[in-house]
Amino acid sequence: MSERQPLREAARPPSRGVASSYRIVAVPAAVALGAVGAIAAEHANVPWVVGAFGGALAAVLGVLALPSIPTRRATIVLLGLGGLAALRHASYAGSDRSWLLVIWAAATMVTLVVVDRADAETVPALEGGAPLPSRVTETARVGALISLVVIVAAVALVPTVTARLGRHVWPGLTPNDNDLASSPSSLKSSSTLDLTSRPRLSDAVVFTVDASRPDFWRGETFDRYNGTSWSSSSNPDYQPLPSDGTRVLVDPPPYDVGAHTGQDFRQTFHMQAGYSDVVFAAPSPRVVETDKLLWQADDGTLRVAGAGSDPDHFPNSGAGFGKGAVYTVTSRSLPVTEQQLREATGPVPVAIAGQYAQIPISTTPRVVALAREITRGRTNTYDEVKALENWLGDNTRYSLNAPTSPRDVDVVDDFLFRTRLGWCEQIASSLVVMARSVGVPARLVTGFVPGSRDALTGRFVVRERDAHAWAEIYFPGIGWQGFDPTASVPLAGDVKSSGSWLTDARHNAVPLAVLAVLIVITIAALPEVMAAGRRRRARRTSWSAQALHRLERAGRKSGRARTPSETPREYAEVLARRLGDDRLVEVGATLDVALYSARGAPDEARERADAVLTSL
Amino acid sequence: MPAETPMNATPEPGSDDRGLGSALRGTPTHQGPGDLTLTSIVLFTLGAYGVAAGAATGQEAVVAVGVFAFTLFAIGIVWPIVSIARLHVRVVAPTDATVGDTVMLQIEVTGRAARVDIRALDPPGTWWRTSAPAAGTMPHTAARRGVFGSVRVQLRTSAPLGVFVRTRTMRVDLGAPITVAPRPTVASAVLHPVPDERVATGAAQFRRSGGDTVRAVRPYAPGDPARLVHWPTSARRGEIAVREYEPPPAHGVAIVVDLRGPRPEAAASLAAGIGAATLAAGGVVWCGTCEGGMQVGDTVSNARELGRRLARSVPGAPARPPRDWPVEIVSA
Repeated sequence: MSERQPLREAARPPSRGVASSYRIVAVPAAVALGAVGAIAAEHANVPWVVGAFGGALAAVLGVLALPSIPTRRATIVLLGLGGLAALRHASYAGSDRSWLLVIWAAATMVTLVVVDRADAETVPALEGGAPLPSRVTETARVGALISLVVIVAAVALVPTVTARLGRHVWPGLTPNDNDLASSPSSLKSSSTLDLTSRPRLSDAVVFTVDASRPDFWRGETFDRYNGTSWSSSSNPDYQPLPSDGTRVLVDPPPYDVGAHTGQDFRQTFHMQAGYSDVVFAAPSPRVVETDKLLWQADDGTLRVAGAGSDPDHFPNSGAGFGKGAVYTVTSRSLPVTEQQLREATGPVPVAIAGQYAQIPISTTPRVVALAREITRGRTNTYDEVKALENWLGDNTRYSLNAPTSPRDVDVVDDFLFRTRLGWCEQIASSLVVMARSVGVPARLVTGFVPGSRDALTGRFVVRERDAHAWAEIYFPGIGWQGFDPTASVPLAGDVKSSGSWLTDARHNAVPLAVLAVLIVITIAALPEVMAAGRRRRARRTSWSAQALHRLERAGRKSGRARTPSETPREYAEVLARRLGDDRLVEVGATLDVALYSARGAPDEARERADAVLTSL
Repeated sequence: MPAETPMNATPEPGSDDRGLGSALRGTPTHQGPGDLTLTSIVLFTLGAYGVAAGAATGQEAVVAVGVFAFTLFAIGIVWPIVSIARLHVRVVAPTDATVGDTVMLQIEVTGRAARVDIRALDPPGTWWRTSAPAAGTMPHTAARRGVFGSVRVQLRTSAPLGVFVRTRTMRVDLGAPITVAPRPTVASAVLHPVPDERVATGAAQFRRSGGDTVRAVRPYAPGDPARLVHWPTSARRGEIAVREYEPPPAHGVAIVVDLRGPRPEAAASLAAGIGAATLAAGGVVWCGTCEGGMQVGDTVSNARELGRRLARSVPGAPARPPRDWPVEIVSA
């Protein structure tokens, strides 16, 4: 049977443009862009899996589906885009995201190695030369060495190169109107805290904290309650604090014993949000290292001085902390045990009692009665507060989706006797009001919970959703101690499912829609992919194409790939010398006859060639 | 015959110091330290932007990304430079070749490198991939007539990251020089009687075929062909006697090769063609050339020897031909 097949067609690479040595590049490239896609998705409040899948898909399509662009160039461009995305979203790294950055870095490095290796494999092998080491061996060796160098460079060079890293004070960017407008309310000092509006709580990082231990980062305190909101009797009586330009000494509030005699605790805050004029710190701040001029209220709350406060001496002050600003706080507090708190039964200073132990005017009698009922039989302040805390934990539920209270009712009353469903502000307010109802000095505090600790940097990453409100109780001889009743309150979702599958699906509409589109694209592309596979197999159905493929495979295994300019006969002769098998010369001759002769190769010659190729 | 001299000592045609077959004198080849790639631009940009933006905004993660990119950039440049610098190459070439032939160079690369490409220069050949240490065979075209004691070899690598393609050119002395003869042009044999008997008797083909005139009869010696037995004398003497002929008149030509002209290579090829055709026809060839500034003239016994003579020839006054010899002057 005659068989005539153009050599070019028989020798065409099996894929549609991308050489086989380059296909493996798609794997690490997909991991790199998938990792950075996951970080970017989280930053955009989209489930990370959507970003990861999108990034990986883009990488695979970029490497494999653009045959008109050299694979190396396409890959490098993709890695460049991935790098830009990493730079754009790196600051969003949290405890898990920083590992995604590590994965991105490792995959990027592997991609560079693999794509350069694929390039090298397009060069014909030196006759008799040593084969290249395996991809895995080379990648592992290079990866280990480069990782070592990168780690050393990161540790040794980062603080030096950037100069500001490792410092405890840095001015950061000057906030503009946009930063001010987009900054969450939890970062802006305010005279009131409205309990009838729902807070905005995104996943955006607001600041990171270098600290040896977690703590609540206190912002503002409120002592006046009118039934729907809190306010501070100190505001606007802020007083400027003395500063030498880098260091502000804070005068501790009177009767805050811990702030005078406690232990120091140092924290460095790195602002990630565009604006904040509240100085967050663990209680109670004594020294603030900053270039800003600060104001202090008599309850100890600190804020950045207003615009134009003293531009001659503090040119960076007046606009609050901008993105990149760094300040360090040395706080002082008294470490106490439960027993010490129980024994703190001395007289409360008149000033404290007058300001913080008064029952708010709006408090309803049944709230007072409830508080007295809960604390009945308790003989000390600590036990009373714990009883109230436990009652809240047992009888209320936490939910950010709780209905807001009407304007004309007392929020605490409404929360305790009607809804029993609320968020930290209602829960903490209830504790403060009930504590005051039984004569215990208490105040509401807003700020942030410690946040999650970044496994790489060791910093606490604080996000917008970590904004919190809690109570502080005054103990004679000790000072203010924080109590977080919300921690005792179970989440509303812990009790039962919040809704049907339809509700869940509605909450995840965007990722589900993206997933659906990707599934549709995959299904649509499947026939074409299968057809390409069939075409590829069909090209190998002729004897000559199969034999040539087997010959090339044997050559590649021996470390000598066929060059584009080599005819099958020449290639077979090269392999015959290389492998010391003269029978390959005849195989090459048979292939030439099969490819070009009108009559095709005789059956006996084909059988002999098959036998030789099988024996290789 | 003058001894073969490593030709990298004198920069003349036929004694080229630029390596094997540098037909394209002055052709630029890659001599620089290397080339930066698109990868290097991307990494440098990311590194600069990351460090600058991170330092300005205080975002350590951004600085870390920048430092990572810079580190890859630095490693990508240093690694190929160090890798190539540690490599050494030995080359062994065959002793004879003709212009246009593909010469198989035996290459030995010592040192350690995961990936390296190698090629011969003059003219630049194909790149061949190997890892080091390795030994292999590299085909290279002998592009120019001459005797070459060295070959220029180029190594390159971009391993492991493809950031920087480091190229290193080195001249490698050959263990034994390679003589590249001119490629003979098609020419007719020149067979004229040559008066020099010494030359004629030296021509083996004429001696075997014999002449027409019987010079003497002598006792048989082992090896004498049976057709030379002179039967009457053998019968008379009682022992076998054979005829001994006068040597035939020698035929051949004295080729005087004068390369002082605009086309020395064409002249050398023509001389090679005439000489090869004459030798193939059984003639004797005397070749007069100028080699290394000296006039050299002598008979050549075969085409290889003629090729070697012509390979060494340089422009200059050639040796004068023997008296009464038929002369073929080939000039450039």
